[in-house]
Amino acid sequence: MKKAGYVILVLIFIAILAKACIIADTPTPITQEKSQNTATEQIIYPQNQKNITIADVDYLQSQAEIGIYGGSLVASTIGEGPKTFNPFNTKDNISAMMSEVMYDGLLTTHPVTGQPIPKLAKSFSVNGNDYIIHLRHGIKWSDGKPITADDVVFTWQNIIFDGFGNTSTRDSIIIDGKLPTVKKIDDYTVEFKTPQPFAPFIRMLSTSIAPKHIFEPAVKKGKEYFETFLSTNIDPKILVTSGAFKLKEYVPAQRVVFERNPNYYMINKNNQKLPYLDKLVYLIVGDINNEVLKFEGGELDTIGLQGANVARFKELEKHSNFKVYNLGPDTGTMFVSFNLNNRKDKNGKYYVDLKKQRWFQDKNFRQAVDYAIDRKNMVLNIANGLAAPLYTAESLNSIYLNKNLKPYDRNIEKSKDLLKKSGYWWDKKGHLMDKFGNHVEFNLFTNAGNTEREAIGVMVKQDLEDLGMKINFKPIEFNSLVNKLVNTSDWDIVIMGLTGSPLEPNGGKNVWMSNGTLHMFNQRPAGYTKDDRYPWEKELDYLYTQGALATTFEARKKFYDEYQKIVYEEKPFVYIYSPLRITAIRTKFKNVFPTSLGGVTYNIEEIYEAKEPSKGE
Amino acid sequence: MKILTYILKRILQSIPLLILVSIISFFIIRLSPVDPLAELRLNPSVSQETLQKETQRLGLDKPIIVQYGKWAKSFVKGDLGITSNGEKVSDKLKERIPNTLLLTTIVIALTWIVGIPLGVAAALKWKTPFDRILTVLTSVGMAIPSFFFAVLLLIMAVKTGWFPIGGLTSSNFLEMSFGGQVWDITHHLILPVTVLFTISLAGLQRQMRANLLDVLDSDYVKFARAKGLSEFDVIYKHALRNAINPMITMLGFEFAGLLSGAALTEYVFQYPGLGRLILEAVMKSDINLVMASLMMGAIMLILGNLIADILLIITDPRIRVKA
Repeated sequence: MKKAGYVILVLIFIAILAKACIIADTPTPITQEKSQNTATEQIIYPQNQKNITIADVDYLQSQAEIGIYGGSLVASTIGEGPKTFNPFNTKDNISAMMSEVMYDGLLTTHPVTGQPIPKLAKSFSVNGNDYIIHLRHGIKWSDGKPITADDVVFTWQNIIFDGFGNTSTRDSIIIDGKLPTVKKIDDYTVEFKTPQPFAPFIRMLSTSIAPKHIFEPAVKKGKEYFETFLSTNIDPKILVTSGAFKLKEYVPAQRVVFERNPNYYMINKNNQKLPYLDKLVYLIVGDINNEVLKFEGGELDTIGLQGANVARFKELEKHSNFKVYNLGPDTGTMFVSFNLNNRKDKNGKYYVDLKKQRWFQDKNFRQAVDYAIDRKNMVLNIANGLAAPLYTAESLNSIYLNKNLKPYDRNIEKSKDLLKKSGYWWDKKGHLMDKFGNHVEFNLFTNAGNTEREAIGVMVKQDLEDLGMKINFKPIEFNSLVNKLVNTSDWDIVIMGLTGSPLEPNGGKNVWMSNGTLHMFNQRPAGYTKDDRYPWEKELDYLYTQGALATTFEARKKFYDEYQKIVYEEKPFVYIYSPLRITAIRTKFKNVFPTSLGGVTYNIEEIYEAKEPSKGE
Repeated sequence: MKILTYILKRILQSIPLLILVSIISFFIIRLSPVDPLAELRLNPSVSQETLQKETQRLGLDKPIIVQYGKWAKSFVKGDLGITSNGEKVSDKLKERIPNTLLLTTIVIALTWIVGIPLGVAAALKWKTPFDRILTVLTSVGMAIPSFFFAVLLLIMAVKTGWFPIGGLTSSNFLEMSFGGQVWDITHHLILPVTVLFTISLAGLQRQMRANLLDVLDSDYVKFARAKGLSEFDVIYKHALRNAINPMITMLGFEFAGLLSGAALTEYVFQYPGLGRLILEAVMKSDINLVMASLMMGAIMLILGNLIADILLIITDPRIRVKA
């Protein structure tokens, strides 16, 4: 009798557990129409910020609505947190983001138009290869020392040009082996000269400026010391900043807390000093799931959303205290690349099989593959509708996007016509054969573990099999894939993604110039001198060189339009889609004007926390 | 004096072991296809020169043997080297060790304080409803995977808002009074401690119960009872002292787990301990950091066993004779 009692007890317990599991495992139905309907309503942006001089100090005046002081905003970063607080040593996104909060550059980017506008500088003028920067009078570092031309010259000459820290800025402005020069004209005027006109340089002027009185001793101790200077275990008081915030505390693996910089040079319409927020907190979270939990639990004020979460949050939005913004397509591009390598390796063997070379190097073949791929289907099924089909080399939010290059739908008939034109034929079983009777069969690689790319791979394989091709889809480990792409070149086609810059196409020169380190569709070994470029590769080289030399936006756009047209026709990369950026932020924060280029918190100085948390709209 | 030579002997014995462990781990990490620079290579704005500089800085251009030699030399000198981001490994570890120690010592202390008496009580009340209910509960505790339990508790924290969602301190920790800070940490610790406690309690309680039952069945206990000793003396003077020996060996292992035992739970709760640090280091093939943590684990294990053996010598005269 007793035993039976225990058995029943245990059974009841198991039943309760099982019931809980069943409820948890039933997915909440996602309404497709809802997730599509994330278009933003019209956002009214404030007028451009103005320079205004009060008592000999050149302030920058915000034109946004006047807010309330106090409060804090909690954002998050995924990963292990910043690695350094030295803006010149950053090698990862999170460290760079933290530096941007603390150190302003001379110029910044207009959040709507993407044009360079003054920030730490009061004004600037460009005349060919000559850049004159006028600095603000009377503005100060967070420790009260004035910000002058000495700081600017020191930053550029002694840190960047002399190759301290991360040298990628320096590497990108070397033109024909020569560096630009920087000269102090007076305490508030600096002149930069590039060896020849070089338009991308203006974007480089948004590089952080370092306080000379803090950085000079470190620079004197040499490059090795500089690598460890301002590492994350320093006392926050040592950090002297020019941005809206300064570091208050850094707790490893937990958070970075910034507090208001009392000496910040921006003011509101009432001439009161900004920022409004007392604190800006970045929580360091390990993964996306934890980030979502923290947002739902109210520990985070803003979050970037992905995939299925978007639909769920859109649903929750109606009766919650946050608002979801669709920022439009992001700068990431996803594409299928062909291996157009026609060289032999050290042992005299071709990197790519001769018969495969004939396929891939045939423009009709590449276009046929392009027309066979069903982008819209992938957007709907892989990205939950939260992506935009992509046809151009520049990302969809790039200010240099060539809008004349029209999108098109999948067209399998056109694919077949193109293949027939190049002498391909189908055997009785529907296999695609080339002129020489070889069955078209090749390998498709991508990095294993990236579920999105794996899903794209499966759909690309299906789409191409409709043409009678045989595709062996092989997801491999990321590092091995990179090795294949940049060193061994033993691949056929690959699904990859790259992040571009929406403002400066020249950042892609390592991909598009024939001697670039990421010219993956026709990777040449370092130091390769023989000229075996395809005619259109030569054109790309020419356009990229000229595009950097031209100085006005309109003149540059012509070159970059042309390069996108070539890529659009030659199809070394078949672009697939760009994911949309979706962000949620609590409605208690006002002066939020999200833009595609800037995101949600680019104007952190102007954002304030309303005292009464308002519900919904 | 004898015990000192014994300790010295044990330490000398552990040196070849450590060398072997370090060689195996170093080569396994380096032979895996993880390229610490893969991310940099795929970044369009990184130049060839930067890549070469990084390769040289991390010593990736030299043969593995040379890399190992360099690492071993500085390790012997007590220098753990720098991480791939240029930070000192010893600093990184110092940041995290106190957090992990805080969590694991609380858990170990709690499990021992609760587990041993519960085990004893269950053995004394063998086959009573009390014992059976405990057996069922500990079975449940042993059966739940720790990460799953942790996720369940996290979801509960989100839904109810009773507990913070992971971490160790709130974002306004600096402004709190001392009492507030203590409460804040306690509040954050409750969930991870609950998970680890439930899981290790089950094992410990069962072990203790089984040991004591074994001893209670032996001849000398029967003899002691027959002699007319009080039940208290029989159990706490004779039986318990003999039943505790295997537990001391277990304590040695628990000591080894002080720094590495909670990695999974730490990860789920976003606890700023060693687990998360080392996981990321392994993913990025940050060799100095991974090696430092592996060596630390090995040394802790050796040390734990040594301590257990010494404690055994003290509690058990039979071992003393052999040693």
